[in-house]
Amino acid sequence: MNPLRFFRRRRQDADLDREIAAHMEAERAENMARGFSGEEAERRARIKFGSERRVHEELWQQNSFAFLEGILRDFKYALRSLTKSSGFAVTVVLIMALGIGANTAVFSVMNAVLLKSLPVADPGRVFYLYIDGQPDGASNTGDSDSSFSWPVYDALRRQDHALSDVMAYVPLSNDGKVAVRFGNSAEVAEGDMVSGNFFSSLGVHIARGRGFSAQDEAQHAPVIVLSYNYWSRRFSRSPDVLGSTFYIKGVPLTVVGIAAEGFEGTEAGNSVDFWIPLQSRRELNAWGTPAVDGKTYLAQPNWWCLRLLARLAPGISQKQALAQTQTVLAQAAFIGINPRPGQKPPVLTLHPAKAFPGYEEQYGMPLKMMMAMVALVLLIALSNVAMLLIARNASRQREFSVRLSLGAGSMQLLRQLLAESAVLVAAAGALSWFFAGVGTHALAHWAQIDSSLAPDTTALSFTLAVLVLAALFFGLAPLHVSLAGGTGLALRSASAVLNRSAGNSRSARVVVALQMALCLTLLVAAGLLVRTLSNLQNTPLGFKSNGLVAFGINPQQARTVNESIAFYQRLLGSLRALPGVEAVSLSENRPGSGWSNNDGVPMIDGHKPPNSDGEQGLIRLNNVGPDFFHTLGIPILAGRDFADADTRHAAGVAIVNQTFAQRFLPNQDPVGHNIGKRDWTQHAQIVGVVKDHKYTGITEHTIPMLWMPYTHANTVGEMHVEMRVAGDALAILPVAQNAVRQIDPDLPLLQPMLQQEQFERSISQQILFARLAECFGLLAIALVATGIYGTLAYRVARRTAEIGVRMALGAQRSQVVWMVLRGSLWLTLIGLVAGAPLVILMSHYLASALYQVKPFDAITYVAAILGLALVALIASLLPALRAARLDPVQALRTE
Amino acid sequence: MTRNQQLSSDMLKGTLDMMILRTLTTGDAHGHTIAKVIERSSEDVLEVEQGSLYPALHRLENRGWLASYWGASENNRKAKYYRLTQAGRRRLTLEAGRWRRMARAIALVMGEHTGEKVTEGGTE
Repeated sequence: MNPLRFFRRRRQDADLDREIAAHMEAERAENMARGFSGEEAERRARIKFGSERRVHEELWQQNSFAFLEGILRDFKYALRSLTKSSGFAVTVVLIMALGIGANTAVFSVMNAVLLKSLPVADPGRVFYLYIDGQPDGASNTGDSDSSFSWPVYDALRRQDHALSDVMAYVPLSNDGKVAVRFGNSAEVAEGDMVSGNFFSSLGVHIARGRGFSAQDEAQHAPVIVLSYNYWSRRFSRSPDVLGSTFYIKGVPLTVVGIAAEGFEGTEAGNSVDFWIPLQSRRELNAWGTPAVDGKTYLAQPNWWCLRLLARLAPGISQKQALAQTQTVLAQAAFIGINPRPGQKPPVLTLHPAKAFPGYEEQYGMPLKMMMAMVALVLLIALSNVAMLLIARNASRQREFSVRLSLGAGSMQLLRQLLAESAVLVAAAGALSWFFAGVGTHALAHWAQIDSSLAPDTTALSFTLAVLVLAALFFGLAPLHVSLAGGTGLALRSASAVLNRSAGNSRSARVVVALQMALCLTLLVAAGLLVRTLSNLQNTPLGFKSNGLVAFGINPQQARTVNESIAFYQRLLGSLRALPGVEAVSLSENRPGSGWSNNDGVPMIDGHKPPNSDGEQGLIRLNNVGPDFFHTLGIPILAGRDFADADTRHAAGVAIVNQTFAQRFLPNQDPVGHNIGKRDWTQHAQIVGVVKDHKYTGITEHTIPMLWMPYTHANTVGEMHVEMRVAGDALAILPVAQNAVRQIDPDLPLLQPMLQQEQFERSISQQILFARLAECFGLLAIALVATGIYGTLAYRVARRTAEIGVRMALGAQRSQVVWMVLRGSLWLTLIGLVAGAPLVILMSHYLASALYQVKPFDAITYVAAILGLALVALIASLLPALRAARLDPVQALRTE
Repeated sequence: MTRNQQLSSDMLKGTLDMMILRTLTTGDAHGHTIAKVIERSSEDVLEVEQGSLYPALHRLENRGWLASYWGASENNRKAKYYRLTQAGRRRLTLEAGRWRRMARAIALVMGEHTGEKVTEGGTE
């Protein structure tokens, strides 16, 4: 049987009409031929044929699928009845979609950041190597608990019992990107230097071409593997890229392979664009650091800069592996270092590669808090949807009863309710996919996870399933009541029905009170975070950040310190000459970027200064250019700024901050004192004291600081230019780029931005956290308002007759308003009290995310409580006023 | 009661289908002609309600045993003609065979043996 017949029924029916007409005509003609009159011939033909209607109906049914037709009818009816109450439908769909969308977005990001493992073969056997206790005398770049020296890596990979493979990798730059050139276009890209076994031992497939071999590492082969993403983004997946030349910091390398899609390095959040084998050239030193005395990481055995991954040998447990490897590490750790007698070697630990390193600490707490907030919002949304459905269907009980008594089957009613729920859920599902997509991208952008992050389908289907179940449950609940009530309900008066729904409205009030409690929690959380953010944003930086622009420069051609200094002197000269530029300076670590040189307290005048023990013994350093403090607008309290005259051959000078002076040189003029350390190239005289200001980020506590001219540093590599500009600061960037090009056409401006923006980036997490909490809070309060309004409006509608009677008996309008309000004010009070323990719990957990706000901040609490009470009042005032405006006569007539 | 009616109408449907198929072996025809032929060849014993013919025709067509086309009738009006398909021919052979066996069996039951059976039953 051809199912298409179902859709051709109308045409077939018309066909049949013509066929029957032809038949009748033939029969009538025959009858007339027999001698009957026209009328009689027609009559006889009709008798002989029987009922035309029945023929039509029989054929129509033959071509029908009763079931399908029923469903179609149910959906048509559902759409009609939902359009009739479109306000209800839109509200329910929006609430559901927002709830599911927000939940899915947060969960997807959390999943990607915290739960997803590295896209490698058998990730359960792969571990990141960590140490506890880097040896004294080691210098370090990167995180001190996850960096290793070349000799340690070399020793570890030579053992072959516990670890079947040890893989090393190290970024080519300490700020993410290096200058690259392909053809004529100079740009920046993110790259790692890796061991020869990097791809093969991790089990990362190579999509095209080849990966690296042990030989590539041993010979430091000039070859490069691009990430699939970079290949797609930058080269439009052109196969011609393979075999072509790619310049990194001016060094030519040949593209030999494209890594598997989805593999973007071994650190979450950084999406590596390319990999090269471990190199020995000075230009391609680890972390982009200039080679000290021409020595790279390979020749600096005390430089701990490599990150290591290991794959456990088959049959070896984590514990066995640690035990066997520890001895190897203990021996290799002191290569190139003169250990103090009795110094303990570092202790090795393994961290599963299941989770990306460092991400848990950085994003774990905020994401979990956010997840909790979303869960609260979802709970409020769910209960709102439930209440709306209950209210709507309760008011339809008479409709159901009437239909039951007119002969509708309970099955038909059930199917209809199901159809309505299905329409709502389908619309909500489609919309929530959209919300989830937008939300996920926004969140991923914040977390700086460039890897192609899409909404997690599992999370989406899970939340959707929960809502479907809820919609079904609450959508069908009234049917049960109607069936139990039977057809009699149709004949009863509305006030009789009112009694019946008393139970319903009691549960609705419990739900509203709970929503209040949850909402209060969210509002307090949002309030605390918003206050934290405003504290952060209003924290004085200690310098004039307006009109200050910063960008990084890495002189690739400079081979020696003198060449570098010459380059920067030339650069400063040409930048100063640009129109609109008021001052220009340099700094090794860009303020606000989080980078800083940390060191112990130096000798002052040949003595260990006072107050320099333990935690007080740490200072931060920065190497900067001339006019640095003038350029940044930092007040100089005593002495002078650095000047062009502070050349490499000039006498050593240093500038300290207030805290440094007060702590280590109390009650004396710091200018003129000598500072120095045994291993410093020269002693320096303090020539100035500047006001305390922020260096690494906004939340930094003031710490003693020391600045030296960059011209006196051991190495001079990448520096950051600070420019104070009149007018539109960003407009100077293209002009500056031109000036740089005239010195070296291959040099891009690295991470150009306003200095203000650099500091804002250091609180980007708090900004987004606060914004999201704000959104969640507003969403929650909107949901609660809808909930209160919905329940009260519904109750007022149900009590129209009662209110009419009261007013007819002399009740004042104010009394009616109070009657309606009283209930909701009680609910608010109960909700607030019930929310207290939850709020306290939440504040406790939030404490670590706050800045200069106490977890029990009175202003926030009072504002949240008042805000919620006010919204509750407004939401209940509308139905209350409507009740008061009732015309008693009209109200009584509604019966 | 309902069940019996259903059963008998099923039986009638089956025979009507077979007779329609048989009628069309002599050539294509429209509904009116088919009704007339069945009436006439049964010597007016089987006077079908002409209306019931059409659902049967459409059912047979849906099953692929008949094909139809619009053509001009004897008095030059448009009429829907039905034609027997190959599948229809096979179906007719099947149905006719079954019918003949059934008719023979009924004839045997209703024939001279009937009396004997009754007497046998009686003697016992």
